[in-house]
Amino acid sequence: MAEDFEVEFIEREDRKARFLVRGMTPAVANGIRRAMVADVPTFSVDTVRFVENSSVMFDEMIGLRLGLVPLTTPLDDFEEGDVVTLALDVEGPATAYSGDIESSDELVQPAELNVPIIELKEGQRLQLEADAVLGSGKAHAKHQGGVAVGYRHLHRVEVVGDANEFEEQEPNILRGVIEEAAAEHAADESAEDGALVPTSEFDNDLTKRYPGKDVEVHDVPGAFVFHVETDGSFTVEELVRRAVESISDRAAELEEKVAI
Amino acid sequence: MMIPVRCFTCGNVVGEHWDEFKSRAREGDEDPAAVLDELGVERHCCRRMMVAHKDLVDVVAPYQ
Amino acid sequence: MELRVIDKTDEELRLEIAGEDHTFMNVIKGALLETSGVAAATYDVNPEQSGGQTDPILSVKTEPGTDPLDALADASRRVQDLSTNFTSAFEAAL
Repeated sequence: MAEDFEVEFIEREDRKARFLVRGMTPAVANGIRRAMVADVPTFSVDTVRFVENSSVMFDEMIGLRLGLVPLTTPLDDFEEGDVVTLALDVEGPATAYSGDIESSDELVQPAELNVPIIELKEGQRLQLEADAVLGSGKAHAKHQGGVAVGYRHLHRVEVVGDANEFEEQEPNILRGVIEEAAAEHAADESAEDGALVPTSEFDNDLTKRYPGKDVEVHDVPGAFVFHVETDGSFTVEELVRRAVESISDRAAELEEKVAI
Repeated sequence: MMIPVRCFTCGNVVGEHWDEFKSRAREGDEDPAAVLDELGVERHCCRRMMVAHKDLVDVVAPYQ
Repeated sequence: MELRVIDKTDEELRLEIAGEDHTFMNVIKGALLETSGVAAATYDVNPEQSGGQTDPILSVKTEPGTDPLDALADASRRVQDLSTNFTSAFEAAL
């Protein structure tokens, strides 16, 4: 298991990425996935003190909405349990947006400025003070930094023969990423053996990629395609790095305690 | 009442796109599917949050 | 992470690792199975609703001549090496 990994990005943005990892066991892949969801902490509003709330929503409902607003979390500067105070004061007629939230710490700001919290009518007012706590997804889903984190095996598609030419071909749906193994049969002329092709390039339909052919799909052993999105608290790279680090830290702790 | 901040199913933040979606696809006459594609709301779990939403603040406000 | 040894012989170990869940236990189990001298390794977690034991219990059986605690230390080392390898491979791909 301690062999070398090979990582290759298929798609990469700040908040969304897809990458292929080779040489990994399912146990490790799942460990990293779970750590990304539940063990990497993010800031999230936890306690709210209402000064005035004459809006149409109850305090609790506003509290819930505030909790779900992602806050930027520079993990180098904080540790779990740290608290940052936020304030919000909006008078109607207006809509209170997440961008109106004022933070006592420059590093912890709403990651999204355009989320409506509550629409206020004439004479209504929302004034509150909130404590954002750095907690992990294990305690509450609002602390999850990763959104829709998952992985699939890398697929290898083999052309095994010709389809029955007198029959209409049924769609053969496959999602994920394929490793091109039959470039000469592909509809796309620039196809090359060994290239990684997201199935969305051919409408997730193998009959469009290999028209008139019978195909077999195999999983490539030890090759996982991760799909990672974050809620804006940090970048995808940060999330992956922290998740792996959290597993490593626990292994180090175990090694140390076993030695005694 | 108000657009949910996040998608119920996957946890993606969808609230931020509501104002634009509303003005273009509800009040405007653009195709909702095209607007959602452009906003980057890809998954159908997130898309239904927008498509199936109804603002109710105006309805509730008189009874405060 | 709190450890409690439940059973320990020369070739067998049952260890409670409090505060951990499948995330780490499955990784360490996988690493143990790939460690030389380990004959069998598994872990068991009961769901919270079961009302009884809920912290995971790791069971390790080794071949003669290997202390299960040493094997566990090796496996932990292995997980750390693997994390380092992954991080450097990941960073190289950025």
